[in-house]
This record gives sequence, C-alpha cells and structure tokens, in this order.
Amino acid sequence: MKTKDLQLGWHTLLAVIVFLMLIPIVFAISNSFKTLQDAYNTVFQVIPLSPTVQNYIHVFQKLPFVRITINTFLIAATVTLFKTLTSVFAAYSFVYFDFKGKGILYFVMLSTMFIPFTVTMIPNYLMISKIGLRDNIWGVALPQLADVLGIFLLRQSMRGIPKALIEAARLDNIKHLKIMRDIIIPLVRPSIISTGIIFFINSWNEYVWPVLILKSKENYTLSLALQMYISAEGGTEFTIAMAVSVMTMIIPLVLYIIFQRYIINTFAMSGIKG
Amino acid sequence: MNFEDKKQSILGYAFLLPSLLVFAVFMFYPLFYTFYLSFFDWNMVKPVKEFVGLANYIAVLKDPVTWKIFGNTVLYLVILLGFNFVMPYILSFILSNIIKKGQGFYKAVFFLPSVISLVVGSILYIWILNPISGPVAIIAKFLGLSIPFWSKTEGWVIAVLCIITTWKTFGYNFIIILAGVSGVSTEVIEAARLDNVPMWKIFKDIVVPMSSATGIYVFITTIVQGLQYVFTPIKVVTQGGPNYASSNMIYMSYHEAFTLYRTGTSAAVSVMTMLLFIILLILEFKFVEKGVYYEN
Repeated sequence: MKTKDLQLGWHTLLAVIVFLMLIPIVFAISNSFKTLQDAYNTVFQVIPLSPTVQNYIHVFQKLPFVRITINTFLIAATVTLFKTLTSVFAAYSFVYFDFKGKGILYFVMLSTMFIPFTVTMIPNYLMISKIGLRDNIWGVALPQLADVLGIFLLRQSMRGIPKALIEAARLDNIKHLKIMRDIIIPLVRPSIISTGIIFFINSWNEYVWPVLILKSKENYTLSLALQMYISAEGGTEFTIAMAVSVMTMIIPLVLYIIFQRYIINTFAMSGIKG
Repeated sequence: MNFEDKKQSILGYAFLLPSLLVFAVFMFYPLFYTFYLSFFDWNMVKPVKEFVGLANYIAVLKDPVTWKIFGNTVLYLVILLGFNFVMPYILSFILSNIIKKGQGFYKAVFFLPSVISLVVGSILYIWILNPISGPVAIIAKFLGLSIPFWSKTEGWVIAVLCIITTWKTFGYNFIIILAGVSGVSTEVIEAARLDNVPMWKIFKDIVVPMSSATGIYVFITTIVQGLQYVFTPIKVVTQGGPNYASSNMIYMSYHEAFTLYRTGTSAAVSVMTMLLFIILLILEFKFVEKGVYYEN
C-alpha cells in the first residue's frame, strides 16, 4: 500500500514536469493565432475564440521573412555538411590509424569543449571583419566547420565495430577511403544521422555568434529576427513574436519528432567515457 | 618504420587535418590572441594597441562590480547545478529503480525543449512569468499571492533566467544521467533492497558512486555549458540588469567588448573565466576522478 502511494506521488511529479516542459510550446502556438487583445484577456483559452493569422501576415509584410528563413537554412545546412564530413574523417583517423601524438591530439581537441566562447569571440570577430565577411551569412558559418562533439560521438560508435572486420579488409589491400565509404559509414549511419541532425538544429537555433556578425535585417537569421520583438515587459508586439517563435521552432520540432529515437540514443552515449 | 607504416601515419594526419585546421584558426589562435589582448589597452579600431601590462587585470579585480558579477556567477552555478544535475540524477534513479515504466516517453518529452532556440524559450517565459498579465501571475492572484517583478529584482532575476535555461538543458542532462544510472547493475540494487536498505541510501551509497563517471561528466558540462547557455536569456531579457544583478562573467566579457569596446578588460575577464574552468577541471581530476567507478 505504502509503495503504491509513493509510486503515485512520483508519477504525479513526473506528470508535472511533462506539463512544464510542454506548456510553453502550447502557449506559443495558441497565442500566435490570437489578437493581442485576446492574448491578454483570454489567457487560459488555449484554443483561440476568434483565431486569426494576422500575426503571420504581419511577419511576412514587415520583414524579409522568406530571406531570413533561407539564410538560417543555408547557414545550418553548410555547417552541418562540413561538420559531419570533418567529424567522420577525424573519428576514422582516431580509431583506425596509429600515428605519433594521437593521444595528445585527441586530448587537445577534446579540451576545446572547455574554451568559453568569450575567449574566441573578439579575435574571430576581427578575422571575419578583416576578410570582409561581417554582415554576411558565410561569416557565421566559416568558424564552425568542425565540431569536437561530433568527433567524440562518431569515434564512440566506430569503436563499436569489430576491428577484425577492418583488418581483414586491409589485408585484402582495400584502400581506407573505400573501407570508410563501404563498411564504416553504413555501419555507423544512425550515429551520423543523429549527429548531423543535432548540428543542424543547433546551428538553426544559434544566437550568440550571428548576433555579433549579422547587422542588416536581410542577412538576419530567425533567432535574430525574433529578438527584435522581445522586451522584458511583454510589449505590444507579443503575439507577432509568438508567430515568429512558432516558425522558428517548427523545423527543429519536426526533425526531432521524426528522428527522436536516433537522437536520444546517440546522446545517451555521449556521457559514457571511452 | 617501414614505408607502409609511414604512409599510414601520413594518411592518419591527413584525415585529421580539416578538423585540426578549423580548431587551430578559430579556437587556438584566438585563445592566444585574447590572452595577448588582455595586456593591451585597445578598442578594436584604434590603430595602435597600448601595452599596459597587468593593468587590465588589476582594474577588473579592483572594480566592485566584478565581485558582484563573480557572486552572480556562483549563484548561477549553484542554481543550474541544482536544476540540471541534482534533479535529473534523482529523477533518473526514480525512473530506473522505482517506477520503471514509461522511460521512453519521459526521455522523449524532457528532451523536446532542447531542440528549441533559447531565444524562443526566453520570449515564452517572459510572457508566462509576466508579473501582471501572465498565466502564472493570474493563478497566483487567484490564490491571493503575487509574483515579484523578477526582471527588476536582484536574486529573482537570476532564478528566472536559470529556469529559462533549465527548460532547454534539463532533458539533455537527464538522458545522459539516465543512461549512466541504468548501467548500474540491477543485481546489486536488488540485493540491497532484499536487505531492506532504504531507497535514499541505495541512491547515495550504490547508485551515485557506481554511475559517477557519467555524473562527473554532466557536472562539468553543466558548469561549462550552463554559464554560456544562460548568456542568451541574459542578453535578450535583461542585458545584465538591473544594475548588473543578472550579469555573469560570460556576459561581462561580451558587454566589455561589444558595448563598451574595451577589448583589454573583456579579454582579461575571458582569461579569468577560462582559468576558473581549468581550476574546476583540475579539482575534478585530483579529488573526484580517483574515486570514480568505471564500467569495464
């Protein structure tokens, strides 16, 4: 009896957390279809009494919104493509090659996780400005073409492949590039897909670096566009901000829902040292 | 070393080269350059950088605002660790040993906000926690309570910015810790239960020590990433205000560099932030890592 009560207590706690996690998203969608007046007067009316798409129309009229979405996509796609490629090669090198200084190089790369962005922001800002890429989406992408977490995760899953398989292929004199393409990549495909999706989502949501580099509205990304509607007091453009929020989160949410299992399994792995 | 071996190591380096190049240019070179800048007085446009020795560090350390911000940083860390390390640890234990059902569902839901931009999270919470018109304030009013004007109140402002950040980072930490906690041998736990060892003792004396490799990883990343994640809500909600009450060392570096154009002080603060991280890492290796239990 007592354990049953306890179980119920824990279930309630978990249900509360689930509620807290999801309710902001529900509110965002709901408010984006309300007029400002309704958003303030019918706070708990989740399904709007008089739904309107006025907020969405406003966004497309007042902002180069298509352009902003394309910018965000181009940066995220470029970053994802390069990070995935560089990570696959680096992870392969760490797992299947022996060379001097391998251990130190791996340690040095992992240590970049502990470098706060403030330590690199001024020099990177100056470099990007110097080569004329300030206020340019490629200036956002350029410093982010490799990623230590990707190397780490892919190395973890490549280590799961029996070494004998690769040694056999090497004895048959098969080239490394071919081994990588025909054996390794197909075997670690779930990890590659989920790290790729995480790269994409993180870049899509990125705020700190773009806010330093991008200055004009037509070069903005979604996070920067959204920031324009924020004020700590709530403000008069609050429902418009909700519409931008919904459009900012829709792509990551869809990707997450489709690839949820892959993503969670890959991340669960990242805490296990190896 | 024969020819084939040599060829192998060259190819090994070649595969690493693209990543190394990016890290060298955009991580390690900037690291040294920031260190260099911390000894100069400059504003990013003046043609000449003036060497000032340790003056930037001394100025930063003498400024009472720095100490206030340092205190804020510690408060941020304590709250973030409570929400993103202690809480997920306890929940993981409950899910893997007491409830045992619905793990997949909880993992999926808790992780969901992790894929949403923190700028979105910030704006959602500004509205939800609006002290006059937000849903929480309305419920509080109904119960005869009121919620503070948190964005203008010292202490509360940090708590709320931590809540916003936690909304995003909780699920990520949760699934990692859950993987670690689930890895603890069930036989040991079952044996302890048969001996009537209370649950909290099983958690403290068996589960935490046996999952400590994962635990420490999450502890460290919560400190290092948490302070940086919280930058976004600080920047979009309060800009460090009121009167520096929500600023932390990361925001201070940014503010010095890109609002006040004092690259020297900004660089000095960045270097000190990194020193703080390094000290934490060394402490971890010295005192904690020894007692860590690794599987295999």
